[in-house]
Amino acid sequence: MSAPATENVYLPKTAVLERVVSEIAEVKTFYWHFEDSAEQEAFRQFRPGQFAQVSLFGVGEFPTSLPPSPTEGETFFTVRQVGSCTSALHRLQPGDKFAVRGPYGNGFPMEDYYGKNLVFVAGGIGLIPLRSCIVYALKNRNKYKSIQIFHGAKTPKELMYVPNLHEWEQTPGVECYLTVDRATDGWNGNVGVVGSLFKKPGVQVPVENTTAFVCGPPVMFRFVIKDLLEMGFSEKNIVSTLERYMKCGVGKCGHCCIGVAYVCVDGPVFTYEQIKKLGEDI
Amino acid sequence: MKARILDRADVLKIVDLLRQQGYEVVAPFYGRGRDTFFDTVTDQNRDRIQIHLPNPYYPPKRFVFPHIERLMKFERSDGQIHIEPVYEQPKRAIFGIRSCDLAGIYHLDRFYLGREFRDVYYENHRKNLFLVNVVCSDVDRDINDECFCVCTDTGPAARDHFDLQLMDLGSEFMAVAGTPAGEALFADPIFRKGEAAHIEKRHAILDELRKRFKTTTSWFSATVRYVTQGDILEKTWEEIGNRCLECGGCTYVCPACTCFTVSDRPIGPNEFERVRVWDACALSGFTRMAGGHNPRKAVHDRRNRRFFRKLAHFFIQRELAMACVGCGRCAAVCHGDIGMPSVVEMIRRATGEVDKHERASH
Ligand code: SF4
Ligand code: SF4
Ligand code: FES
Repeated sequence: MSAPATENVYLPKTAVLERVVSEIAEVKTFYWHFEDSAEQEAFRQFRPGQFAQVSLFGVGEFPTSLPPSPTEGETFFTVRQVGSCTSALHRLQPGDKFAVRGPYGNGFPMEDYYGKNLVFVAGGIGLIPLRSCIVYALKNRNKYKSIQIFHGAKTPKELMYVPNLHEWEQTPGVECYLTVDRATDGWNGNVGVVGSLFKKPGVQVPVENTTAFVCGPPVMFRFVIKDLLEMGFSEKNIVSTLERYMKCGVGKCGHCCIGVAYVCVDGPVFTYEQIKKLGEDI
Repeated sequence: MKARILDRADVLKIVDLLRQQGYEVVAPFYGRGRDTFFDTVTDQNRDRIQIHLPNPYYPPKRFVFPHIERLMKFERSDGQIHIEPVYEQPKRAIFGIRSCDLAGIYHLDRFYLGREFRDVYYENHRKNLFLVNVVCSDVDRDINDECFCVCTDTGPAARDHFDLQLMDLGSEFMAVAGTPAGEALFADPIFRKGEAAHIEKRHAILDELRKRFKTTTSWFSATVRYVTQGDILEKTWEEIGNRCLECGGCTYVCPACTCFTVSDRPIGPNEFERVRVWDACALSGFTRMAGGHNPRKAVHDRRNRRFFRKLAHFFIQRELAMACVGCGRCAAVCHGDIGMPSVVEMIRRATGEVDKHERASH
């Protein structure tokens, strides 16, 4: 009896770009699908919070989070143009080919949060990974208690997924609060950091039986964590996803290793309690 | 495990037997001066194979995890992209691998073939690999000043993970089979049954050998505990970090280091190949992300990283093998003298301060 052939976890599969939507400056959403429909079907079983590795012909590979919810049926990435790979993706036209492998990482254990209140706190493009959980939770609305979304950006022009934000603001049973650091373009909503929303009159953040999802730039992350802890959140009820330089996504190249964890396989989702114990800067 | 005896004059016949079975045999040779290296055995160089010699700096790890390895090819034509994996599945034997390097391969096995994902490229190299271990028994030629396998418990005589082990008893050699494939070789008439006296001789030689190691960092296990508990002062890491020139040499010679980077390079007008290349956590680009943010900026953070990854109990438990096998190569190549034995020693010297620190905080 011969052993089953080992799957080549490094081998990406060809994908086709369908369409591109501009989000904010330098950030675009790329809708795509695998050429092979069986691949597409298998990939679609991803969990919120997982990520994928994207290959650009002749340039290289980069990790990116999965903003869609598996309940949506579409596959897309939202990517900021920062390095050579992401720039190459930004140059692609609908119909162009690239390659994808994944999904990887642990993802958010959405079932563990059944019966709980969910609080999402996203700074800037930190909404990209959290979008997946929000859409998933709304699709399974009766599984969760209250749902609150807090999203902040530098200026109104930098708020992410605006059509989604509008939709969430209109959805009964969901509270969606927005804020900007600087009011421009006729903004008449809240001005201030995301944390300032927690103290706004009429806002009641439930602390008991609640999971708080926090994603955003390092400074915002630190302040929000501080606010949440002061409000009485326990460290294990705060979850986030970590970003690292990643080469393989499967726990072998060593690049993402932080403290005792390989972010790509042990994460990228960690509770704040775990993050603190990693023993290195994030 | 079965053991047999053979004449000194017949030892290289094992190489011949393996070559007859279709193995590409690599074995250690002398270059110029102290330089030694593993090379493919041919009819021309066969007689120059060395049984006793300083272990080559360039570890035989590269036969299972090549320094540069092609993973796949990408070809673009008519708007289509074809992706084709590139596989190599050699039938290879390493003759004369030292016990430390053997433990290194065992660590790589645990790392690349264990856990969530198996590495198919590593597996292909490993699948048909035949390992002939030679016990380091020549104090002058085999054992360098930096060797400390006695402390990592990986040598000088490996207990496991070889197909065949050879030990020099003088005019005769003892061969021990570690696998059925190794034992199958005993069918050849060069091998004969041994006697109790042979075993006694083996023990006597090993007992004497263990006393001949210069670097005996007996503090190794204590260091594991200190590193695991995070008890090492920032100051000590800084002291170690200040001596690191960030050349990456320590990782390149290490038989147990596993990190790699991946890059794409053109091989034709519309063709690219993806290769993986050994990488080193000592280098500052290792954790730098697109956009420039580098969570591990300071050089002592990176030094800390190397020793943490090698010595923290968490990882030892996870791989059931330690990522340091006591070969001493990093000590031999490091310009700043912060190879593993020195670091263990620096940590030992700093513990007085750790204790002071602890007393003060209680
Ligand atoms: S850390 Fe140094 S002594 Fe230990 S296995 Fe690696 S090169 Fe050898
Ligand atoms: S460390 Fe031990 S096994 Fe390795 S070369 Fe030195 S004596 Fe031989
Ligand atoms: S990205 Fe390679 S080990 Fe995590």
